[in-house]
Amino acid sequence: MAYKQLFGISQRRTFRRLLSNNRERLYRMAYAWTSDPHLADDLVQQTLLKALKNQKQLRDFSTAEGWLFRILSNCLTDYRRARREFLSGENIEIVDKTTPEHHLKHDQMIQKVRQAVQRLPLNHRQVVTLVDLEEFSYASVAQILDIPVGTVMSRLCRGRRALREQLLEMKPSENQRPVTSIKRIK
Amino acid sequence: MNKDINTSEEQLNAFVDGELEAEERNGLFAEAEKSADLDQRICQHRKLKELIKHAYRDVPEPKRRLPGGRTRNSMLNLAIAASLALVLGLTAGMFLRGFLPSVSSPEELAGSGSQLAAAVTENYILHVASGQPEQMKLALQTANDLLSSADPDRPRRVEVVANEQGINLLRTDVTPYSEEISALAAKNVVFYACTKTIQRLEMRGIEVQLVPEAIPGYTALDRVVIRMKDGWQYIKI
Repeated sequence: MAYKQLFGISQRRTFRRLLSNNRERLYRMAYAWTSDPHLADDLVQQTLLKALKNQKQLRDFSTAEGWLFRILSNCLTDYRRARREFLSGENIEIVDKTTPEHHLKHDQMIQKVRQAVQRLPLNHRQVVTLVDLEEFSYASVAQILDIPVGTVMSRLCRGRRALREQLLEMKPSENQRPVTSIKRIK
Repeated sequence: MNKDINTSEEQLNAFVDGELEAEERNGLFAEAEKSADLDQRICQHRKLKELIKHAYRDVPEPKRRLPGGRTRNSMLNLAIAASLALVLGLTAGMFLRGFLPSVSSPEELAGSGSQLAAAVTENYILHVASGQPEQMKLALQTANDLLSSADPDRPRRVEVVANEQGINLLRTDVTPYSEEISALAAKNVVFYACTKTIQRLEMRGIEVQLVPEAIPGYTALDRVVIRMKDGWQYIKI
């Protein structure tokens, strides 16, 4: 009984530390997805709240980070769904709400990259940022977003192609058609 | 320059993301040695990846948060931020007390729904620092009254932040009000447990077990200032 109690206390403490340690990462990802600091903050709070409520669902702490990001993704989906219902089916695009004055103060390249990321469809944006910012494996991204690995790869391709065109001014030529494909990924 | 037409974008992505098996990775390195075009494409992919990482290395904090949050600041900045927060909190508290008598006292708030409906803003943060059961009950009652008196067309948000002795409200083994907290959480009242208070108790060897509805991660001061900068009303219980 004492051991069980001690184990429970230790687990709760570890869980609390897990949430505290991941708050900034979740916020950065939420900001990359929404470009809205307030919304990002609210999404992270909802994520932490849901994580606390459902902490018993987390059996394996080694998968905790992916689990948290999955909750964050679900919170964003819920938010967009609620907004869409509220506005009678209007398709909501989350836009960069920072002012031109704010932009002037920031590095132009950073703003250019963020705007380019923001112009991507959300599903491409999520894949690109999960892979590039958090360096999740394709398999982990597939789990977080609940999509097949093949879809992760195709969205990543399209997302990065669009970003390259906007940021590196390197449009892939028509005759540059690949003739081989990946045999196997890790 | 040898034009590379054999390597797909998927392969290049998997290469720069470290997703290729060693054999395929070696093959691509060998190909890049022979083809300047492929070499350039790999560079472009890597450059893009680095650009994105760089662009989000420092993301803006919500505007309501104090300049110089916890994330990347020195202890000096933290001290300055805390002082500013304290001054702002006290000033705003005095302001509210002077100009909004209908929301300045929790005793008045309990059971004064019509006054609340006429209040200037819709959202409230309640601060509980007392461990007295009647004060805790008053905090929960106030949260409940604030919700029930809200205009149905203008949903109201309420948060309760607990620190010092008030943290007992959110400790599973101490609080007499866990059911009331669950009921309020079901109505979207959010409860925050001050991280500093938790740390202080743990340093004294006291294990802090929070009710499932309580969120750690903020100090009470931070949370109050964040919400006040966001235009919320502050009520000290």
